[in-house]
Amino acid sequence: MPEWDDSQILEAVRTPGKEEVAFNQLVANYQERLYWHIRKILIEHEDTDDVLQNTFIKVWRSLAEFRGDSELYTWLYRIATNEALTYLKKKKKQSFAPWVEVEHKMSEVLESDPWFNGDEIQLKLQQAILKLPEKQRIVFNMRYFDEIKYEKMASILNTSVGALKASYHHAVKKIEAMLADD
Amino acid sequence: MDNKRKIPDLQQEKLKKQPFSVPDGYFESFSDRLQARIREEQHSTPPVPRIRTFTRARVAMAAAILGVALISYSVLRFTVFNNGSPDSADMALIDEFHLMEDDFYLVDYLEPAEEMDDEDAFATQAMDYLAINDVEMILLLE
Repeated sequence: MPEWDDSQILEAVRTPGKEEVAFNQLVANYQERLYWHIRKILIEHEDTDDVLQNTFIKVWRSLAEFRGDSELYTWLYRIATNEALTYLKKKKKQSFAPWVEVEHKMSEVLESDPWFNGDEIQLKLQQAILKLPEKQRIVFNMRYFDEIKYEKMASILNTSVGALKASYHHAVKKIEAMLADD
Repeated sequence: MDNKRKIPDLQQEKLKKQPFSVPDGYFESFSDRLQARIREEQHSTPPVPRIRTFTRARVAMAAAILGVALISYSVLRFTVFNNGSPDSADMALIDEFHLMEDDFYLVDYLEPAEEMDDEDAFATQAMDYLAINDVEMILLLE
């Protein structure tokens, strides 16, 4: 399938009879980017697969109403982030355990996860990231791994550039301290 | 001895590499699985019909009529359908004369009088007559 850009996708969405083709193209363009974004939040592949599907189903239901106030990319990332955070919240409720314990379990899963291929230092980095508050963790992952610009991140997370820079700076300090202690 | 903690360089290339992987063929088959799930959801969950405003008004009206019917039944039960006990007679009078709560003393007034001999009965009736015609009692007693 030849790749369409966002404007072509949105034009097709508004053309009767072309909505499904447009949606399929959108999935093809964004599935991997959104997958890795969600995976860094949820760690486990199975959870990520569930949330990625939930994200695209939400997109399918509301694509026709997308007004284009923000970029398609921003809108999709925002939905994916919210779905991942909702999933984490539900997981915490179901476990009847404080958040610290849920994060601890995720850290343990990493060590035995067949879909984690990192070495010792990469494992320690991921475990340190898991100790950050969840929103700070998202900021750190988006800046550090995905190198998303602060302005784009601000649109996705609906936060100011200044707040994001401060959050990232503190996250880096915390992680450096945790890795140094190890 | 250098006691400084060794702070790792987070900018080293190795650390910035993605440490996660996915099962073989995951992304290739994702779209098909997603479409299957969307179709399944569309078939298994019929759209819930919204109650239109017009139907809501009808339901509200029916509820109001039912409410009035229940209240009417309760009133009738204590009046018309009762077996004629003094309570029901009083209640009927209260209803007939549209008595308010403060006027309940009038119910006592409407109770049947005690039996009297002829002399007492005459005296009572005379007093009543004079009171109604506003004749000052004191003149009678002089």
